[in-house]
Amino acid sequence: MNVDIVVIGGGPAGLAAALSAYRAGAQQVVILERDFELGGILPQCIHDGFGNFVFGEMLTGPEYAQRYIEEIEKTGISVMLNSMVVDLDSDKKVTVVNPEEGVVTMKAKAVILAMGCRERTRSQILIPGERPSGIYTAGVAQRFINMEGLLPGKKVVVLGSGDVGLIMARRFSLEGGDVEGVYEILPRAGGLTRNVVQCLEDYGIPLHVSHTIVDIKGKERVEGVTVAQVDERFKPVPGTERYIPCDTVLLSVGLIPENELSRKATIEMDLTTGGPVVDESMETSVPGIFACGNVVHVHDLVDDVSQAAEVAGKGAAACVKGTVERRDTVVSVKKGRNVSYVVPQIIRGHPKEDIVFYLRVKEIEKNVKVIISSQGEVVKEKKERIVKPPEMVKVQMEKAVLENVNEELHFDVIRLGE
Amino acid sequence: MTTNEKIKKKLEKFLEKKNLSSIKVSVEDRIVTIAGLADTWDDVVQIGHYAGSLKGVRGIVNNTKSRDITERKDEAQSFFRDSGIRMKLPGKTDVVIIGAGVIGCFVARELSRYNLDVVVVEKESDVACGATKANNGQIHTGVGEKSGTLKKELCAEAWPLYQKIAEDLDVPYEKNGLLILLTEESLPQWVPSFLSRIILTYIVPYFVAHRGKSVGDTPRVVNRKELLQMEPHITKRAVKAILMPGYGVTCPYKITIALAENAVENGVTFVLDTEVLDIMVENDAVRKVATSRGDISCRTVINAAGVYADVIAGMAGAREYTIHPRKGSILLFDKTEGYLTHQVSELRFPQDPHTKGGGVLETVDGNMLWGPTAVEVSDREDTSVSKSELETMVEKYHPAVPEFPLNSVITYFAGVRAATYTEDFVIGPSRVRGFIHAAGIQSPGLTAAPVIAKRVVDILRKSGVPLKEKEGFNPVRKAPPVFKELSAEEKTELIKKNSRYGHIVCRCEQVTEAEIVNAIHGSIPAVTMDAVKRRTRAGMGRCQGGFCGPRVAEILSREQGLPLERVTKKGGGSYIVASKTKVVS
Ligand SMILES: Cc1cc2nc3c(=O)[nH]c(=O)nc-3n(C[C@H](O)[C@H](O)[C@H](O)COP(=O)(O)OP(=O)(O)OC[C@H]3O[C@@H](n4cnc5c(N)ncnc54)[C@H](O)[C@@H]3O)c2cc1C
Ligand SMILES: Cc1cc2nc3c(=O)[nH]c(=O)nc-3n(C[C@H](O)[C@H](O)[C@H](O)COP(=O)(O)OP(=O)(O)OC[C@H]3O[C@@H](n4cnc5c(N)ncnc54)[C@H](O)[C@@H]3O)c2cc1C
Repeated sequence: MNVDIVVIGGGPAGLAAALSAYRAGAQQVVILERDFELGGILPQCIHDGFGNFVFGEMLTGPEYAQRYIEEIEKTGISVMLNSMVVDLDSDKKVTVVNPEEGVVTMKAKAVILAMGCRERTRSQILIPGERPSGIYTAGVAQRFINMEGLLPGKKVVVLGSGDVGLIMARRFSLEGGDVEGVYEILPRAGGLTRNVVQCLEDYGIPLHVSHTIVDIKGKERVEGVTVAQVDERFKPVPGTERYIPCDTVLLSVGLIPENELSRKATIEMDLTTGGPVVDESMETSVPGIFACGNVVHVHDLVDDVSQAAEVAGKGAAACVKGTVERRDTVVSVKKGRNVSYVVPQIIRGHPKEDIVFYLRVKEIEKNVKVIISSQGEVVKEKKERIVKPPEMVKVQMEKAVLENVNEELHFDVIRLGE
Repeated sequence: MTTNEKIKKKLEKFLEKKNLSSIKVSVEDRIVTIAGLADTWDDVVQIGHYAGSLKGVRGIVNNTKSRDITERKDEAQSFFRDSGIRMKLPGKTDVVIIGAGVIGCFVARELSRYNLDVVVVEKESDVACGATKANNGQIHTGVGEKSGTLKKELCAEAWPLYQKIAEDLDVPYEKNGLLILLTEESLPQWVPSFLSRIILTYIVPYFVAHRGKSVGDTPRVVNRKELLQMEPHITKRAVKAILMPGYGVTCPYKITIALAENAVENGVTFVLDTEVLDIMVENDAVRKVATSRGDISCRTVINAAGVYADVIAGMAGAREYTIHPRKGSILLFDKTEGYLTHQVSELRFPQDPHTKGGGVLETVDGNMLWGPTAVEVSDREDTSVSKSELETMVEKYHPAVPEFPLNSVITYFAGVRAATYTEDFVIGPSRVRGFIHAAGIQSPGLTAAPVIAKRVVDILRKSGVPLKEKEGFNPVRKAPPVFKELSAEEKTELIKKNSRYGHIVCRCEQVTEAEIVNAIHGSIPAVTMDAVKRRTRAGMGRCQGGFCGPRVAEILSREQGLPLERVTKKGGGSYIVASKTKVVS
C-alpha cells in the first residue's frame, strides 16, 4: 500500500500532526494506533489541567483528546486502531499488525513518529530487595484506577515526585488510600509546582526530598519499604533508615521516549533527550521521517506537544510536496551554561517562520536570562524569573533574527547581574 | 577406631578449637549429626562445611542454630496457597514426585516411558518456581567441578544429550561455547610479572584444556588476536583464552514447562498449589503422602524438593543431610543480539570454590546476563537482591565487557541453591524403603538433570519397581506458535484463523493475545502473571510489564472467570489489585 503520510501513534502528538499535515495539503494521511481508541495517554488522565494554552480553558485529558478527534473525523484522514507498528526502515516502509488484515506493509512518502514514552521501572533505578507484587509505575496505577475502576493497594509509598506520581498520590487519597509520603532523591520536587501544591500540600501528604527507598520487603505482596536520606552524591546516609509498612510502592521516576522503531530506522538519537535529533521542522536525520511529542523529549504540558506536532505535520506535508529548501550549511544548536538540552538540535532550512526552541535547565536558578548567541554575537535574550528542571523553557526566535544566524546557535542560561 | 569414631573425634577437635564445645556431634553410618548453638549463621555454615570435608563422610545433618537468626523454617509448615486452580488429587498412585522443578519434571518425563502411575506434587501454582526459574541457563560441561564429585560425573555425561533433548521438546538451546579468559588480573598481584606471563601463556591454558578434555569437550587455546576478532567487545586486558565448545545455553523454565507438558501427554498427573505436609512410613517403607489437599497412597516417593529436600526427608525419617541455602543473584540487561557470540568467564586465582560457574553471556532470548553471586543465607526463600550484590556483580563482571552500557539493566533476581555440606548431589535410595533422594541439586543441576532422571529410574528398577515400557510413549512435544518468530505470511495466516494473533499485548516482546490465551489453557495452565510471563515473555521486556501488565491481568481474569482482584503475580497473597475503587469513573 502506498500513502503520503503515515503517522505512528494516535496520542495528542499524532493527532495534531495528522491534522496539520492534512490542512497543509497532504492527501492520504493514515494514523496507526495500537490501542483500541485514540488519545494516547490522555484517556486515563481524568484530572483537569490540559489545554490552557491551546484552548484557553482547563480541560481533562479525555476532553482535550476529544477536541482533536472530532476535528479528525471531519477530514479525510484515515485512522487504523488496534494496529501496532512492528517495523520501520529508513526507506519509510512501515510494517503494521492488526487483527483484521494481519501483517500489512505501507510505503509512505513521509512518516511522523508520535509513539510517546514509557515509564522508567524499579530495576532501571536499581532498588534492592525482594520482588513482590504491589510495585507499580504511576501510569499503570493510573490506568487501573481511572480506566478499570480498581484500586491497586491501600497503603502507599510514592518514590519520585514526577507529575504523574504527584497526581496519583492525590488520586489514591481521594479513593480512600493512605499515602504515607512521597520520597524524592533530588533535593527538590520533580514535578510542576502547581502539582506539588494541588496534589500534596492540599491533601496533607508529606514530600521528603533527598530521600530514597533502600529496600523492599515482601515475598508475595509488598509488606514494607525502608527509606533513607541521601547525601549530595545520592548515597544513603547510614543511620537514617526508617521502615514503613505498606502494601504498594508507586514509582514516578522518569519517562523514557519510546524509540525502538526510530532505532530500527537508523535515526540519529540525542543521548540527553533520549529521542531523535530533529531540525526546525521536526525532521529527523533520516529524510522524510519526522517526530513529535514525547517520542522526541518528555513534555510537561500537552499544549506544547500539540504545538510542536503541528510543526511536524506541516514539515511532512511540505516534504511530500517536495517544497523543502535547505541551507548550504546546517546550523547546529549548542547547549551552554545550565542547559541540559535544546530541541530542535539543528536548523536545516531557510527561515520561513518563527521557530520555538524548547529547553530544559540542569539546576534551579532565580532571575536569569536565556542568552542565545551565534558566532559570538547575542541574537536574542529572554528573562525568566525562575527556571527549574521540571518546567520546560520556551524561546520563540523570530524569523528576522534567524536570518542572521549561521553555523552555530548557542543557548546559555545566565544569572542576572553576572 | 571405626570411621564413625574418627569423624566424630576430628570434628570435636575442630569445635574445641573454635570454643564451641557445647555443640554436640554424633555419627552413625557415616552420617554426621551436629546440634547446638553457635553465634552466627556463618559459624553454622562453617562448621557444616568442615564436617562435610572430612574423609569418609556420607552426609551432614546440621541442626546447629545461631544466635543471630531467630527464625528458621526447618520443620514442615503450611504454605498453603489457593490460586484458584482445581486439580484433582488422585488417592492412590505408584510414584509421587515431590517438587516440580527441572529435576522433578525430568524424572516425571523419564518415568512416563513406563507403565506406572506417576503424580507430581508441587506447592507453587506453576512448575519451575524454585531455583529452576532463577538460574543462568548454562549447560556446563563439568570442567569447573571438582574431580571425583557426582556433580562432575553427571554433568560430563549430560551435556552431550542437550541437542536431542532440545529438539524433542522444541525448546531453545544454543551450543555457543565458553571462552575462559586469561587476563593480566588472572593471577594475584604478588606473582612477579615475568612468572605471571609464563604461567598464563604456557601453564594455565594447557592445564585448563586438559580438564576440558576430561569431560569430553574439545578445548582449543585461542590467542589474543584471534580472540579479539571473535569477540570485539571483550576486555583488551585479555592475554589468551581457552575455548570450550561444549558449553551451551538454554532456557531453564521453558525446558521445565516443556518436560511437564510432555509428561502430562504421556500420562503423568500434576497437582500444583498442593503442599506435601507429611510422609507416612510403616515398617520402614513409604505408605502415604499427606498433602494440603488430602492423602495419596503410594510405595515410592522421589524427593526433588530443592531447598526443602531435607525437610521432606525428615518427614520420612530419612534426614541424611541438611540443606544450607546459598543465594545467587543475576543481573539481566536489555537485548543486545550478538554483542557476544560466546559465553565469557574471566579466570581469577584464587577461585571461589562455590561460584566457578557463571560469567557473562547472552540468554537464548538475546539478553545480556551477568552473574550469579554466592551468598549463604539462613532463609530458604530469601530471593532478595541486595545493594552489595548489585555492586558485586558490576565489579565482578563488567571488567570482562568494559564498554557495556550499565544503564540498560532491565531486571535482577535471585535463586537459591540447595547446597548440602558435602557440596555434592545426593542421589540414591535412603534408609526408608521407597523413599529416594534427588537432593542437594545445586549447580550444575540444570545440566545434570537428564542424567539424574535416568539414575533415579535405575534406582527404582533396582529396588524392584516393575518398569514396563509404555506403548505409544511420545518423546516429542511441540511448542505453541511464537508470533514474533514467524514470517509475515505465516503471521497473516494465523491472524486470519484467529484474530487474537493480530492483537499485540506486550509491545516490548511483541506477544499477542492468542499466545497468552494459549498459555492459560495449556496442559500445565498458566494461572498467574509470572506463569504467563515465563511461557510467552509478556512483561519480560524493557518496560517490565508497565504497559501489558494490566492487560495480561484482564485476560487472566476473563479466561479463568475470576474477578481481577483474585489475579495474582505469583500465587498466594501476591494480588495485583486490592479492591474496586469507591467511585467508578
Ligand atoms: C499521568 C499524566 C498526567 C499528565 N498531566 C498533564 C496535565 O495535567 N496537563 C498537561 O498539559 N499535560 C499533562 N501530561 C502530559 C501529556 O499528556 C503528554 O505530554 C502527552 O500525552 C504526550 O503526547 P504523545 O502523543 O507524545 O504521547 P502519548 O500520549 O503517549 O501517545 C502515544 C501514542 O502512540 C501509540 N503508539 C506507540 N507506539 C506505537 C506503535 N509502534 N504502533 C502504533 N501506535 C503506537 C500509543 O499507543 C499512544 O496512543 C500528563 C501525562 C501523564 C502521563
Ligand atoms: C543463581 C543460580 C544459578 C544457577 N546456574 C546454573 C546454570 O547455569 N547451569 C546449571 O546447570 N545449573 C545452574 N544452577 C542450578 C540449578 O538451577 C538447580 O540445580 C536446579 O534448578 C535444581 O532444580 P530442582 O528441581 O532440584 O529445584 P527447584 O527448582 O528448586 O524445585 C524444587 C521444587 O520443590 C517444591 N517443593 C518444595 N517443598 C515442597 C513441598 N513441601 N511440597 C510440594 N512441593 C515442594 C518447590 O516449590 C520447588 O518448585 C543455578 C542455580 C542458581 C541458584
